[in-house]
Amino acid sequence: MTSVVSSEPSESGSQTLTISVGPQHSGSGHMRLIIEMDGDIIIRASPDPGYVHRGTEKIYELRNIIKNIPVIERPAIIDASNLNHAYIRAVEELQGIEAPPRAQYLRCLLNEMNRITSHLYWLSIFGVFLGHTTMFMWPLGDRELIVDLQEKLTGARITHSYIVPGGVRRDLPQGMKEEAIKRTQYLEKRLEEYDKIFFENPIFTARAKGVGKLSRDEAVKLGAVGPALRGSGVDYDVRKDEPYAAYPELDFNVCTRQEGDSYARSMARIDEIRESCKLIRQIVQKIPSGPFRRKAPIVVPRGESYSRVESARGECSVYLIGDGGDKPYRLRFITGSYRNMAIIAPVLIGGHMADMPTAWWSIDYWPVEADR
Amino acid sequence: MSASQKARQQPDEDPIAMLADGINVWIGKLGDIVHTIVDRTPIRHVINWGRIYSLWPVNITTACCSAEFGAASGARHDLERFGVLPLGSLRQSDLMVVEGTVTNKMAKRLKMIYDQMAVPRYVIAMGDCSISGGLFHDSYSIVNGVHEFLPVDVYVPGCPPRPEALEQGIIMLQEKIRSSKVYEHT
Amino acid sequence: MTTPTNIPSLEREDHILDQLKEKFGDAIKESRVSRRSRPEVTVAMEKMLEVSRFLRDELGFDRANGAGGADYLRDQKMEVIYHVSNLARKETRDIILSVKEIIPRSSPKVNSLVSIWPSVENFERETYEMYGITFDGHPHLEKLFLIDNWDGPPPLRKDVRIPTD
Repeated sequence: MTSVVSSEPSESGSQTLTISVGPQHSGSGHMRLIIEMDGDIIIRASPDPGYVHRGTEKIYELRNIIKNIPVIERPAIIDASNLNHAYIRAVEELQGIEAPPRAQYLRCLLNEMNRITSHLYWLSIFGVFLGHTTMFMWPLGDRELIVDLQEKLTGARITHSYIVPGGVRRDLPQGMKEEAIKRTQYLEKRLEEYDKIFFENPIFTARAKGVGKLSRDEAVKLGAVGPALRGSGVDYDVRKDEPYAAYPELDFNVCTRQEGDSYARSMARIDEIRESCKLIRQIVQKIPSGPFRRKAPIVVPRGESYSRVESARGECSVYLIGDGGDKPYRLRFITGSYRNMAIIAPVLIGGHMADMPTAWWSIDYWPVEADR
Repeated sequence: MSASQKARQQPDEDPIAMLADGINVWIGKLGDIVHTIVDRTPIRHVINWGRIYSLWPVNITTACCSAEFGAASGARHDLERFGVLPLGSLRQSDLMVVEGTVTNKMAKRLKMIYDQMAVPRYVIAMGDCSISGGLFHDSYSIVNGVHEFLPVDVYVPGCPPRPEALEQGIIMLQEKIRSSKVYEHT
Repeated sequence: MTTPTNIPSLEREDHILDQLKEKFGDAIKESRVSRRSRPEVTVAMEKMLEVSRFLRDELGFDRANGAGGADYLRDQKMEVIYHVSNLARKETRDIILSVKEIIPRSSPKVNSLVSIWPSVENFERETYEMYGITFDGHPHLEKLFLIDNWDGPPPLRKDVRIPTD
């Protein structure tokens, strides 16, 4: 989107100032924002993506379906298993196979752990943006507890490549169930401490409430997804609207807030961390026994399939066209951040320059995921 | 002397110019002497000690490896105990950690950032993508390795490297600085 | 192995396709239901704008999930595929309708659907730069990711091979 005009310049007819923010900044990932300002108010904003565009859609056509798994995971590396899950569901649909129930539960377990670690990373960078260094350190420290669980389950800290056609690569190790319950209970207690130092901190509420308002109609019209959409009151979550894997049998709520400002989007994410902790405990207690992987061929049969998954930043979808070989003929990959590129401008327009970090980061736009 | 005689005098015969040239040469030699003294005596250790324990990186998070750089700066693997603290503008940074894939579009800007950093400046290439293109080596929009346009001091392989590997890379850079001369790095 | 009673009914999907075929007749080149919640329809290029308006206003597909292209070099054709769904009614949020149009490879030009679903703006821009397909009526048809990154022909076309060394 090159420009969105939403308000006229001031009546004095003074000139507007165009500045460019980035690509080097203290956030996460390179993206440039071209902002036009009238005094201190932003009147136009357009994102300039492409600094991390690695041409993955061409690479997917050159690698076979197993070798594609690491390439699929890299756009949102801290949320890797959600992207992996979307891709493998598309492959399995074409192959006409379904993973055994134990594998479905294990897939959901890793997805929820990734969701928690992704939101905690978002929170710590939020602390950096707002100059709250305790909020930079605490979530990263607590995130390490969940990353340890991920490493115990899959063998890797963040790039798991755990979900394969036919199931998952490894079974649930011994002792994981008790560890998961203990750590998620600890994390829920820590979230109350975060409330005390950050979310109920008058400095944060003054900076985030009423800032970056996105109305419900605008969010729906522009195709926003994830917590950025749910913070404006729309209860759209793929896990509830088109349940996949083990989610039909699990009990959780979709976290929405009504106000549509940065505070609402942030609190929608924190509520999601709580729900994910509950989900993890349910999964380790209800997981059925049985095989965790079945044989699947390394071939993409002729046909088309479309699968979608709720990743940490929103709906991630894979459209796969196969031609009978072992490589995809066409893999169209649209991630949550790419969909949310459309709402960057409306969220920033009308606000002050000093509000820009809060408003922008509350969308959780991850440039690497959008550029792929 | 008359005015015409002054005008006909050769420039290198002008006593003041000769004195100025002499002083320039002497100051140049004095500069060399200072460099040699600083490089050979314990002053070098003191200056290098100051540089080693305050490597301030530029705030750039190139691509996915930045997740592990962020985790390394966090609570469990604290990079600040090595003196690595992303603080302030890039003009006062002396370390650039290239975390991840370098695209054609970003390569120009990385060079601009590198040129603006203060001397001495060091570059750590973190992750397979910045060493050789890594997982995306046959992509149409990336540079296969940051050494194509920047001088790299330490390579930290991995996809992504664990925070412990990054710490090892920083320790290696510190060893390299400890044994290098003060005025040799640009 | 599923028993016959487990096969889900495809009534909703068939009903959507029937309504489209009834209204537009020959403009609907192909239609099928690949599985539950996934109806697919191929529309003639010239009628795409009308069909999309009908989908949004009459059948309630108020949201576009994505848009992309595909290149079939052997058949000398390209495809533009839109995926649309409905957000307002909770019970049918799971249905995703694939709407395709086939265009000749030698002159790839189609109508833009930004006036119907504003969320496809960035996706059409990307399809333009990756395949060279022009979208008439798009508000800002320019390159999105490839500026300064790649100057050659549209990279996702099947006859563009990227040299690796």
